[in-house]
Amino acid sequence: MKALERHRKLTAIWASESGFRGWFSTVNHNDLGRMFLVTAFFFFLVGGLLAMLIRAQLATPHSAFAGPEIYNQIFTMHGTIMMFLFAIPTFEGLAIYLLPKILGTRDLAFPRLTAYGYWCYAFGGSMLLVAMVFGIAPDGGWFMYPPLSGPIYSPGINTDFWLIGITFVEISAIAAAVEITVSILKYRAPGMSLDKMPIFAWYALITALMILTGFPPLILGSVLLEVERAFGFPFFQVELGGDSLLWQHLFWLFGHPEVYIIFLPAAGVISTVLPVMCRTTLLGYGWIVAAALALAFLSFGLWVHHMFTTGIPHMGLAFFSAASTLVAVPTGVQIFAWIGTMWKGQPELRLPMLHIMGFFCTFVIGGLTGVMVAVVPFDWQAHDTAFITAHLHYVLFGGFVFPIFAGLYYWLPHFTGQRRFFRLGELAFGLVFVGFHVTFLAMHWVGLLGQRRRIPTYAPEDGWTAINLISSVGSFVLAIGIAMILIDVILHALTANRGLRNPWGAGTLEWAMITPAPAYNFASLPHVTSREPLADDPDLAVRLARGEGYLGTPRQDWRETLTVDVATGRPDMHVIYPANTRLPIIMSAITGVFFLSLLLKFYWTVPIAVVGVALLAWKWVWMLGRTDDLPPLPVGKGVVLETAAMSNRSPGWWGSVFLLTANATFFGSLLFGFAFLWTVAPGWPPPTWFVTSPLELGLGILGAVIGPIAMRRAINSNRRGGGALPGLFVALCGVLAVALACVAIMLRTPSPTEHAYGATLFVLGGYGLFHAALGALMVIFLWARVRRGFVSQTRQAELPIVGLWVSYLSAIGTLVLLAAHLPTLLS
Amino acid sequence: MTDILRILIAPLVWLAAFSSIYGLHGIICAHDVAGGTFGGAQPRAILVGAYGFAILMQVALIIVLYSQRLTSRSGFVRFVSRATGWVGLVATVWSLLPVVVTTYCL
Repeated sequence: MKALERHRKLTAIWASESGFRGWFSTVNHNDLGRMFLVTAFFFFLVGGLLAMLIRAQLATPHSAFAGPEIYNQIFTMHGTIMMFLFAIPTFEGLAIYLLPKILGTRDLAFPRLTAYGYWCYAFGGSMLLVAMVFGIAPDGGWFMYPPLSGPIYSPGINTDFWLIGITFVEISAIAAAVEITVSILKYRAPGMSLDKMPIFAWYALITALMILTGFPPLILGSVLLEVERAFGFPFFQVELGGDSLLWQHLFWLFGHPEVYIIFLPAAGVISTVLPVMCRTTLLGYGWIVAAALALAFLSFGLWVHHMFTTGIPHMGLAFFSAASTLVAVPTGVQIFAWIGTMWKGQPELRLPMLHIMGFFCTFVIGGLTGVMVAVVPFDWQAHDTAFITAHLHYVLFGGFVFPIFAGLYYWLPHFTGQRRFFRLGELAFGLVFVGFHVTFLAMHWVGLLGQRRRIPTYAPEDGWTAINLISSVGSFVLAIGIAMILIDVILHALTANRGLRNPWGAGTLEWAMITPAPAYNFASLPHVTSREPLADDPDLAVRLARGEGYLGTPRQDWRETLTVDVATGRPDMHVIYPANTRLPIIMSAITGVFFLSLLLKFYWTVPIAVVGVALLAWKWVWMLGRTDDLPPLPVGKGVVLETAAMSNRSPGWWGSVFLLTANATFFGSLLFGFAFLWTVAPGWPPPTWFVTSPLELGLGILGAVIGPIAMRRAINSNRRGGGALPGLFVALCGVLAVALACVAIMLRTPSPTEHAYGATLFVLGGYGLFHAALGALMVIFLWARVRRGFVSQTRQAELPIVGLWVSYLSAIGTLVLLAAHLPTLLS
Repeated sequence: MTDILRILIAPLVWLAAFSSIYGLHGIICAHDVAGGTFGGAQPRAILVGAYGFAILMQVALIIVLYSQRLTSRSGFVRFVSRATGWVGLVATVWSLLPVVVTTYCL
């Protein structure tokens, strides 16, 4: 087959529908990555506009530009948009677009999940924008501290928009994180062992794992606060056994790792772009991987440094102060590795490199002020002043926006297949750099002079007028610079000035294809023997186009790829992806109905939406698989692979493992909250305790024990050629027993509106019941699949997946039951 | 997956130890634990004991990561897992040092 014929055949198989209809049905990572990035930059512009309004308000004393109510909404939405709707989705978009290319494969692990995540993000973000347009946007600050955000002090709908909108958007983050993790571990080019992975993939993997473990505490906090607001469960009300500090713990358990979730992908961009700009290779690859891992872990031990002024005992403060200073070490290792890379190579001051220089100056200053505020006595003085606002902007703008601009200009030729014609970018960089530093250096200064953050105005006699004016002028220079970057990018896209395929002379695989990238990425998949395959073999792109790699011959209308062993990169499974479908957008719309129903308190539509999502999820999975056995398939280079349906460690199993990791973090946070309230909150013990029942406890524990055992028997029986149905029936009985025990907890718990104890037990029971319902649905689904012939002795992949979920239910069900029954049983 | 576990285990143990000792301090303060042990205050003895145990765990992990029998066959994984092993040990010693040198429950 000739290269052109192969290209046409593959394009027919992989391309999305033509025209705007394709936007709604595409599941291709090229389209969805671009859609994520464009939407995220749209939100960046909205957030930037809000920043201009803030600076307009603060430019002069006694400003009447915006009243306090509107000003509160402006700064809340600025922070919310930049953190949740710009920074994280930009990482997701970049990773979704780039990862399959740099890993040498054709798409991500779960293409429909990518699409579902995008639409959840688009709908959730739109919900927040609509609130802003109608003047009912969130107004409690981007970290929404109760009691200010509780039902007593914020009775309107504003806070609900934040809690529900952000939770909706975070579905997208969790979906992307599962997707990215499984893709990096399993969907790589053959031969790409862990030590040959591009450095960006390491950073993306670490970031995705951080999202899976960092976001659930915030999702839990949002759920609890919304339940408090909607139904009066007093999780954060001190007089009823709650504690507003619990919110701060849950929020910052997410909030501090979030800073590194934002920084690490940007560091991945620096580590990828910098060596290319310096005509060399990255110095200290292994050290950088270890430092990024260390940074990720340490970031989870810092959350209390945002709470130094809340009255925590000295020893607690000292723990977190020490951990905070420690973070400077792995950050320093990365900075020195990058400086060493520049020293080793021959830096060329091209446009991406200018932004990298901007990153160095800005981020290092932000890091140093970070060490300052890690010291408790200094933090006590600077807390909640404009100094902190300036510090976080140095870290986030320096550590994210400059590197992303570097990445934008570096990969722009890849996105468009063209080269820059106009030279606005250099001038724009100058304006952005100068504007940023004028704005935020001044803000450090005025903060040290005592200006509180978030104040809507100040008096002339405060002595802050000139500094604020300078800061505002700087911010408008910064805005002009960003507008020029936007114009530069638009001009680049609109002017047909064909560029080279690999304009920077890079060695990574994303440049081993025609640009803009075809829907299938590689006509055949490469075999990788080093970290920079294209540098070793400059003709690689041509050879892959000729079909000299794996899967070079299109088969039927299958979207084919292969997976590899995690550590060695040895090929292990053949995968056929699902084709274009509107299912993801429909399912995210129904998910949106669920959240909107909660927001508008139309509770009668909530169960309809839940049933709708369950039915669509059923259809989603039912479309996969086949009722006949495929023989092991040749994939090229003499390699023959079994299909994923035959594996007991299929992509779905891997996805479930990481989704359950996030789920377990959510549950762990709930148990932490229970223990925290019990131990620290005033207003305990509760007026009445849950009355234990040995019968209910025994029934639940029995169900939790027999469920996984029965699933194991079903799996073994199916493998031996016997029937799986008897095992599934017993497993279903076990799941239903756990469900009954959880229902009993919810029904018999002391009134959940009178004390946080009853409220927490009710939520624990609800969590167990939800997972029991999910487990029952999965077992019934599997039953139907077995009956219809989708599962056989060889096509066994679905059984271990359900087994995993039933085992998880067993573990959390047991803990829920013990949390409810054990205290009174022991007393 | 075993290689990933080798890389992650030491920092994970640090995270567990750090959170547990912070929680332990909270429980000691909430329940007004008092009294004397080994010639010193009982709360301090409990906290220092937990601190020592956490360090011992990290040292044991370092030994495992350096042992020929249990280490990875990949040179890269060996290097990164040992580096993160040292990160776990240093982080445990440094971030929990306040157990020895600062006041508790104040």
